[in-house]
Amino acid sequence: MSGRKSAKMKQRTVTESLQEYGRGVAGGLIFSLPLLYTREVWWAGFIAHPYRLIAYVFATFLLLLGYNRYSGLRRDSSMTEVAIDSIEEMGIGVVLGALVLFLLGRITLGMPLIEIIGVVVVGAMTVAIGVSIGTAQLGAGGKEDEGLGGSSARNEIDFGAQMVFALCGAVLFAANMAPTEEIVIIAIETSWAKLMGLAIFSLLIAFLILHYSDFKGAADFVRADHFAVILLGTVVTYAIALGSSALILWFFGSFEGVPLFTALGQTVALGVAATLGASAGRLLLQ
Amino acid sequence: MKKTKKNWLEWFVFALGLILVSATLSYLIYAGASMGHEPPSIEVLLGTPEKQQFNFIVPVTVLNHGDETAEGVSIEVVMETGGEVKARGELEVAFLPRHATREGWVTFEQDPRTSQLKARVLGYQKP
Repeated sequence: MSGRKSAKMKQRTVTESLQEYGRGVAGGLIFSLPLLYTREVWWAGFIAHPYRLIAYVFATFLLLLGYNRYSGLRRDSSMTEVAIDSIEEMGIGVVLGALVLFLLGRITLGMPLIEIIGVVVVGAMTVAIGVSIGTAQLGAGGKEDEGLGGSSARNEIDFGAQMVFALCGAVLFAANMAPTEEIVIIAIETSWAKLMGLAIFSLLIAFLILHYSDFKGAADFVRADHFAVILLGTVVTYAIALGSSALILWFFGSFEGVPLFTALGQTVALGVAATLGASAGRLLLQ
Repeated sequence: MKKTKKNWLEWFVFALGLILVSATLSYLIYAGASMGHEPPSIEVLLGTPEKQQFNFIVPVTVLNHGDETAEGVSIEVVMETGGEVKARGELEVAFLPRHATREGWVTFEQDPRTSQLKARVLGYQKP
């Protein structure tokens, strides 16, 4: 290996890169395997219009940019490096998603190209987010971390970063449940009082994770100096959860031809999962 | 400030990712632009009937020439002799994506080789 060890430029060895990709692959599978094993996801691949799939790819890319910009290891990276990393992760997501879907018999060579691409895109975007999180979170964090100042020295809490982490967590959790028929059934059959109950339940979960149960990272990353701040933080987290739920449901076509109340019901039902993801994401996805 | 230079493997993975993502996007743009709004347009083709141990089977190929996906495609195959309906076979295809093909069989108790077979699509849903 070309081990140039100047003070400013340091090249990772191929082995280190391979290990990093290995963590990415593991992360991608851990977070997205349920999605790849879901019928409604395969169907969404060929039902969705190509333009909707393009929107899905761009939304994922934006999320990856945000996450790679703020996650721990890469705080000192330039925007170009962040974009390069995001494209790498998308590539790994596509290859990994296609491989798993092929082994599961969901894509075959006899299928029309548009069907193959559709199914792979729907699966691969969540894999890509998982790859990104796996790369950043699952490492032992020894060698590469040096000289970064460490999280303990970081006193200010970056609100933008917190929102990006919340969004990532919400999408990862909610995407696994969003396309299922169960969400529609819950929205249709549950009374509005119980949906209100679900909303309150979600807010309580957010409060519990963010402020009450002394979760890992809560003291470092969440502001809790005043009752109003706690309330605001909880409500904003829930708002992000609801927003991402609605976006994912729209993408999977769950809002088509349903009355507003059912659409709202689906969003609230999915919002419970998204809240769990958003709250935990704010603390764990650093 | 530490700056990490990429090694050849990382550049390779990046290049691969860039090619894959841009190829996928270009194809989706092309597919979206060339795609019309024709509702599912379904053709049913019948293969050669075969005798099996318990019954006769007729291969059925279903093609969707339309630009939209059809759900729950219901197909009927009728066996006629001299204009008189002898037997009916049915087949249901859960999903028939745009421009896709699905295959299946219908079964008959009598020999369909001596009669005339007619296939038609009964109906389907918008997914």
